[in-house]
Amino acid sequence: MGELDALRVRDEVLQAMYWMHAEGLDDVPTVENLARFLAVPAETLEAYLERFCADGYLERSGTGYRLTATGEELGKRTFAEEFAGLTGAGHGECDADCWCHDSPEDAARCLEDRVGHAH
Amino acid sequence: MPIEAASRESAAEVTPPKDFLRPCLLLLLREHPAHGYDLLARTQAFGFKSSDPGRLYRSLRGLEREGLVHSTWEVSDTGPDRRIYQLTRPGMEELHRRARAIAGTRRLMDAFLGRYEEFVALERESEPRRPSR
Repeated sequence: MGELDALRVRDEVLQAMYWMHAEGLDDVPTVENLARFLAVPAETLEAYLERFCADGYLERSGTGYRLTATGEELGKRTFAEEFAGLTGAGHGECDADCWCHDSPEDAARCLEDRVGHAH
Repeated sequence: MPIEAASRESAAEVTPPKDFLRPCLLLLLREHPAHGYDLLARTQAFGFKSSDPGRLYRSLRGLEREGLVHSTWEVSDTGPDRRIYQLTRPGMEELHRRARAIAGTRRLMDAFLGRYEEFVALERESEPRRPSR
């Protein structure tokens, strides 16, 4: 297991577990449930989960894994950081008052107009 | 069997079309910003199962990565803070594109069902009549 891979998987796992916890879906997912949730092989994931336990981000609880306070804080923080700056307005976008928001048909026409006149 | 009756009988077997979750999420977020759990419940109206929250989570991540959806923390006094999702301007435009594509697909499906109904009607006409009591 490479260090970069471990960091990437750690963020992915902690973010997913925080989301599940916050939405009230599952506080103590098993490796199988977490693997299904992330669409990754359970055999691959288990070694990472054990490592994250050793690192203090997760703890074993019965047949599942639970976020520690450190894991919860990191999962929450990296979740917000991951998409920061992705949603700024792009060039050529219409403004908030544009008539295109009146109906889907108007929006489609507005989009066609703007795409048709794209630089 | 009329199509409506066949539809009712097989309603439990109906599965959503491939890649249908994304436009559904865009539409639901167009209606109002929402948390993951709320979206999980509301996608059932489009044939998705609440037993697969991972699919919803991965779709939301993909939409957010593409800038079609944006999420922020909603602070809670009673539990952990949750992400609340809302549609972005590019997300709105993608919703309109997908809706137009779906309308095009519906025309093809209607053409198929129209011809199928002709076929079913012919079959029905050729069936032997049951004696009346």
